[in-house]
Amino acid sequence: MEMIGHGGKEIVERILPKDAAIKRVAEMKAAKVKELDVRLQMATEVIDIAYGFFSPLEGFMTKADVESVCNNMLLADGKTVWSIPIVFDISEEELKKSGIKQYDEVLLTYTGNPFAIFDVTDIYTLDKKEVAMKVYGTTEDKHPGVKRTYQYQDKFLGGKITLLNPPKINEPFTRFWLTPKQMRERFKEKGWEMIINHQTRNVPHTGHEWLMKGAYLGAYGSMMVDKPRGGVLVNAIIGSKRPGDYIDEAIILCQEAQGKHGYFREDTFLTTCSLWDMRYAGPREAIFHACLRTNLGCTHHMFGRDHAGVGTYYDPYDAHRIFNKVPEGSLGIKPIFNLDWWFCPVCDEVTYMGLCGHKDKKASFSGTLIRSIIQDGVKPPRRIFRPEVFDMIMECAEKYGFGNAFVTEDYLKNRQPVFTIGPLK
Amino acid sequence: MAEETYPINIWINEERLEKLQAAGLASMTKEVLAGLKVLAVPNTAEQRDKVLKLFTMAKYDAATTRSIENMPRQVKDQIFDLIIKKKSLDVMSDFIKSVEK
Repeated sequence: MEMIGHGGKEIVERILPKDAAIKRVAEMKAAKVKELDVRLQMATEVIDIAYGFFSPLEGFMTKADVESVCNNMLLADGKTVWSIPIVFDISEEELKKSGIKQYDEVLLTYTGNPFAIFDVTDIYTLDKKEVAMKVYGTTEDKHPGVKRTYQYQDKFLGGKITLLNPPKINEPFTRFWLTPKQMRERFKEKGWEMIINHQTRNVPHTGHEWLMKGAYLGAYGSMMVDKPRGGVLVNAIIGSKRPGDYIDEAIILCQEAQGKHGYFREDTFLTTCSLWDMRYAGPREAIFHACLRTNLGCTHHMFGRDHAGVGTYYDPYDAHRIFNKVPEGSLGIKPIFNLDWWFCPVCDEVTYMGLCGHKDKKASFSGTLIRSIIQDGVKPPRRIFRPEVFDMIMECAEKYGFGNAFVTEDYLKNRQPVFTIGPLK
Repeated sequence: MAEETYPINIWINEERLEKLQAAGLASMTKEVLAGLKVLAVPNTAEQRDKVLKLFTMAKYDAATTRSIENMPRQVKDQIFDLIIKKKSLDVMSDFIKSVEK
């Protein structure tokens, strides 16, 4: 099966088989190899690297890669497009205490259990302000991506990762988590030649639904319609949350509900998730999403208004325009650019900015407005919000959100983790 | 230019609509999205600031809706009940006083 990912490189899983991993850990322990326990942020990216979500990256970036990404939006090879630094940070104190040196093999642990091998080939520092400016276009720490950058410790380790202990993905995410290889196998089973990715961190209203349907119709083009030859992949981003975001469980289960209840045919729709902490880098994050979804085997990627943006840091269509700056042929996925979808009371339907002539009468699907309605527990009309999706939100609020569909301090503190790393045995 | 009213949006379901009709206030609602009704409870700038101080999770959305959002549902229920009781949308002063007590 075709397993070519971003940059034209084959997707490689950097994972040791279980028996070999157990043996390797025993050897490392006997040799008193240095150990580092990693936090959730880093553990998530170890998993992404190991399964090929970040292909062609095989590990955390070296300084040369980070500088090249910041300055040229390319990896240090000078030809592979990459837009967001993937870095492993460590404090000066911890580095000193652990005694880690260049070319050391380090045993990474997570929640105390053996997790991965880190072949450290580079130890470096970064000018965080410069990184922030180049990646996010601002140095304001109100920007969540900039804030994350400033929160990094002062030293960085670069080098390859090998996973020893695969994550257990917890419910309700288990069935939605497919690795790039599994994803491609699923597409093959479905007979899909065209896979349109919908990036989301929202529960869907009908504006989203029509965004997907519009992209499907547009991309299907002149393919024969004798059988389903393509579909929409909802790939929800599951990662660090901010108070007020939709809870992860509601996002994934509400997306799935669209297929379960027939708003999409099951043979043309698939809901999955990827583990990623949104950086809200707007245009640069759009490029990253394109790389990520190329690795998943998608052929098309939708980019709507203010894709992956935050506040007023980016023009609503910066994430479209950035694709003009990427050399032709350097991305293995075709962007589908969308304008706004809104509800028009004259047309009496959800319609598209590029088609509807009643702009002055439009009712926009403002996220704040929809959130306000949901918070009131009021079921919107089905033309705006599918009743089954609304019911699922309410169910998720009770079951997973401690009574709230939106992230609260309580949820952040007490939620079940998306994945766990158990003992290696 | 119309004066800003810094509203709190109370979304109307059937139960709330029945109560509004009984209180003769149904005409105070407006349709926003595909027939969905909302009751916009006005605040002065001073009341807005007090509300934001009393309910720290709330925020004034100056960018899109120009309304006070993220108010807990129970709080909105209390405001709604006061509207029905007083048969008027002019309730924020009394409401704020009752919370400050």
